[in-house]
Amino acid sequence: MLAVHSTVFLAEAGSTNYMIEPLVILLLCVAGGVGTLLLLPSRKQSPKLGGLLLAVAALVLGIILFRAAFGPAKSETGPYFWIFSAIAVFGAIRVITHPRPVYSALYFVLTVFASAGLFILMYAEFMAAALVLIYAGAILITYVFVIMLAASAQTPGDRSPLAGLAECDVHSREPFTAACIGFALMGVLLFVIFDKGDGLAAPNYAPPAAQQLSGEERVHGSTQSIGQYLFQNQIVNFELAGLILTVSMVGAIVIARRRVVGIDERFEPSIETISANATPVSDDPRSIPVYGTTNPRQKDFPQN
Amino acid sequence: MTMQFLSLQYYLAVGAILFVIGLIGFITRRNMIVIFLCTELMFQGVLINLIAFSQYTGNLAGQAFVIFVLVIAASEASLALGLVILLFREKNTLDADAWRDLKW
Repeated sequence: MLAVHSTVFLAEAGSTNYMIEPLVILLLCVAGGVGTLLLLPSRKQSPKLGGLLLAVAALVLGIILFRAAFGPAKSETGPYFWIFSAIAVFGAIRVITHPRPVYSALYFVLTVFASAGLFILMYAEFMAAALVLIYAGAILITYVFVIMLAASAQTPGDRSPLAGLAECDVHSREPFTAACIGFALMGVLLFVIFDKGDGLAAPNYAPPAAQQLSGEERVHGSTQSIGQYLFQNQIVNFELAGLILTVSMVGAIVIARRRVVGIDERFEPSIETISANATPVSDDPRSIPVYGTTNPRQKDFPQN
Repeated sequence: MTMQFLSLQYYLAVGAILFVIGLIGFITRRNMIVIFLCTELMFQGVLINLIAFSQYTGNLAGQAFVIFVLVIAASEASLALGLVILLFREKNTLDADAWRDLKW
């Protein structure tokens, strides 16, 4: 392992036994940044080198975390956590690096399933089910439909990997700046989490709030507790959530509606139509309006 | 049944990584649909953080918050995709740079 206490910044916390050395975090973030930079869709750079770099960085990180997690405090859910989080991060990277939007959406489904698995590891089984139903079932279906609605025509004969894609899909915008900013942020976040998080290291092992119920009323898991919590403490917010859903549904319909501009040619009135249908105007509520005249008050009588 | 809970920091790290990846995608991608997909990716990171803290502190406020985040995400997705369809009809492209003149 590389020497750590080289800077003043790190020397202040010198006596702390780090879970991950800060310099390793820095190196991993640089490797991840360069790898993501090479993976982002572009015609010039090679995605294979970036993928290799990212895989090496992920392997090193995995080994370090694995060693730390199976040291003094061993956990039974450990292997599942590593599998789910690896799938989630892999899917997330493919979401932002795949040039075709449909595949981005499908990889996002993969990420959603993996984080639902993480939720189950944290005793939040209702949230996992809701996540899969709402995200993978509803939101992503909407995304795929919109992608198909807004797709541009493809040329069938071309078999190259970037064939038939729009210009905006194969050229990233400011990939270098974005990778620098993003992975600097990631480095700082990981450093803070692993450095300052040691004071938090006494988690609650029991499923949350299972002790509020007792006897026959108690159901295994935390779903019943969430229901009680929602309807006892958050009832106004819960109703407001329903209101927000209704309002956004109406808003989406209004926004995406295809507006009819102008008058259709078939209903364009002519002089002959007006002169031929010059029937007297009636205020009878049973009468039905006649299209094809310029006079809006002109109506036709039912025949019976 | 006391299964050993893995330390909180690992879950926070996964949440942070997902958030940052979504952020990078939000900046770099130019397809409007993928941009909104990246915001959903950032939501995922935040949701993992919320659930982890809910488990850690042993109260249910975090899980209840996840429900509200899902509600907001669903309504945001429907409105945003409606707007994307509207913008696509206007210029016949999904490129966000086609609307560059909105900057000034």
